[in-house]
Amino acid sequence: MGSLIDLLPLAYPDAVVVVGAALLGMTAGALGVFAVLRERSLVGDALAHSALPGVAVAFLVTGAKDVGTLLAGAACAGIVGALMMVGIERTSRIRPDAAIGVVLSSFFSLGIVLLTYIASTNNANQAGLEKYLFGQAAGLLERDLIVMAILSAISLTLVALLFRALKTTLFDPNFAGSVGLPVRVLEVAMTALLVVAVIVGLRTVGAILMVAMLVVPTVAARQLAGRLAVVLPVSALIGAVVGVTGALLSARAELPTGPVIVLVGFLVVMACVLLAPGRGVIWRARKLARDRRRTLTEGVMVDIETAIHAGPPPTAAELALVSGRDPRVLRRVLRRLDREGMLARDGDRLHLSEIGAAAAHAVLERRNLWSAWLEHGWQLQLPDAREPNPSDLRASLGDHYADRLQALAVKES
Amino acid sequence: MRSTAETLAAPALEVRRLTASYSSRPVLWDVDATFPMGALSAIVGPNGAGKSTLLKAALGLIATDAGQALIQGRPVKTSRDRVAYVPQRDAVDWDFPITVREVVEMGRYAQIGWVRRVQRSDQTLVADCLERVGMAAYASRQIGQLSGGQRQRVFIARALAQQAQVMVMDEPFAGVDARTEADILGLLQELRNEGRAVIVVHHDLGTVRAAFDWVLLLNVRAIAAGPVADVLTPETLRRAYGAAGGLETEEQEPRWAA
Repeated sequence: MGSLIDLLPLAYPDAVVVVGAALLGMTAGALGVFAVLRERSLVGDALAHSALPGVAVAFLVTGAKDVGTLLAGAACAGIVGALMMVGIERTSRIRPDAAIGVVLSSFFSLGIVLLTYIASTNNANQAGLEKYLFGQAAGLLERDLIVMAILSAISLTLVALLFRALKTTLFDPNFAGSVGLPVRVLEVAMTALLVVAVIVGLRTVGAILMVAMLVVPTVAARQLAGRLAVVLPVSALIGAVVGVTGALLSARAELPTGPVIVLVGFLVVMACVLLAPGRGVIWRARKLARDRRRTLTEGVMVDIETAIHAGPPPTAAELALVSGRDPRVLRRVLRRLDREGMLARDGDRLHLSEIGAAAAHAVLERRNLWSAWLEHGWQLQLPDAREPNPSDLRASLGDHYADRLQALAVKES
Repeated sequence: MRSTAETLAAPALEVRRLTASYSSRPVLWDVDATFPMGALSAIVGPNGAGKSTLLKAALGLIATDAGQALIQGRPVKTSRDRVAYVPQRDAVDWDFPITVREVVEMGRYAQIGWVRRVQRSDQTLVADCLERVGMAAYASRQIGQLSGGQRQRVFIARALAQQAQVMVMDEPFAGVDARTEADILGLLQELRNEGRAVIVVHHDLGTVRAAFDWVLLLNVRAIAAGPVADVLTPETLRRAYGAAGGLETEEQEPRWAA
């Protein structure tokens, strides 16, 4: 550990902070996956809050201030909290979210009462316990880092060894049970891993905000990756980056570490939720807008084509009336069609240009193909599970089946 | 160790005096039933009759009050490699970060071992299973991008990958389109013709009559079990469905290519 700290081009105290925050972020990031994907994020929150009275009791019993002892106390309290949540859920008719609320608030209150009592005893050793509320990266010792590193190494090795079993249980516990996996044991193991993540991070981030370090990296990583085997390392990496950035910023600005780390994490999540390709909010909104615009434009082209076939070319007002479209929307679409060279105007009256007519015919053909699918699809006997895409049946079914569908429709008429 | 002949003669699944309850309400009461090998069997009954519970209890997935279940004559605990279970489709989170291929690979994990590498032969088998359900082109897709019918096909491919002699499926036809239903039914009949046992929880008595060999009529208790023609009589249906036994006259939904 010492050599790693020496390697970093930073002053010694900063280097300790960086290594500590990286360990915390990596561990919480990877293990938090087992909270978020089980839809148990708040269990992580309750575990973190439950750890606080454990720290206080450990201090009262041993009088020691070293991180190892206090974290052992935190782990015991976390496990008791977890057992209580499961117990309340199983034996009473209280729902899981309510059980979490009860355990979280009562353990946390107990922690505050004990910490206040310790503060009133004027024990010379007690200074610093309040760090476990909001976290403080500064003041970590090298031997604290060694404890954290050992815990991370053990838990991450366990995840690697149990990866398939954990993945199967997370995704489909019924199936996991049917092939003989000990589902209960694995679920307990996942909760135990969360306890480890909490105690690795408790000193740096604090009990109140620890849940963010479990949830934030997973949420961000899920936006970017589609396989658990990728989500896990990406989440660990995001956790480490967030942890280190936040810890350094807080050390420089002399702010509490936990909140600064969480704020950095929030920025990362926002960026991923908004910008991620495929899953990001902006990407999806743009796709939706594009699809809507296309449907609208195609609809108007077909309206014009149909009107021309039925009688004299329509004016914009007539077109609005016939098609039942909002005149303002229609004007906007017509302007767009004009820009794309699809329209040929004859005074007020609207024609389609050559390319406009070709485009309208293509749309009509696609529509005909779709209604042919609805009527004759069952006769196609598709060889596999391909699904028709209404907006482009030819591409989704393949030319062979599109042609057969057209033939079936023609034979009918 | 039993002899092979004995194993072959033993029924695919046998439950004896199976009783299970949620809190104090019994959902399964003293159920005896056998399902033969080489047959397509259905478990039918009204809502809340305990159909899914019967499967879960037989496979040891939920606690039972009494009774036991045998797969090919042996306790379930020692014959997990002989049975493949397809749970209800909506029991899992379809936004889970996993690809179609990985889901089907899950069917191999118990044989490969939970730590060892996936062998080339397993990969080939997984590809074959996907091909068999018509999903070969979707192997690298995220499961969240699939339609309901495609998801069911993936679940069935995973069961195929287990290469088990007994396949147990919970509502595989619920919420799938007509084409998928016809395809799946065809596949189940192929499996039956290979000599395996296929046991399916199902709703639609029409399909059961048309395509299944064996049926268990369940309403908390086992009302009747045996060949379809013997079991599905107006009398037994009335006993299972009560006053709503008029299901008999209900018009059949037209089915694609069924």
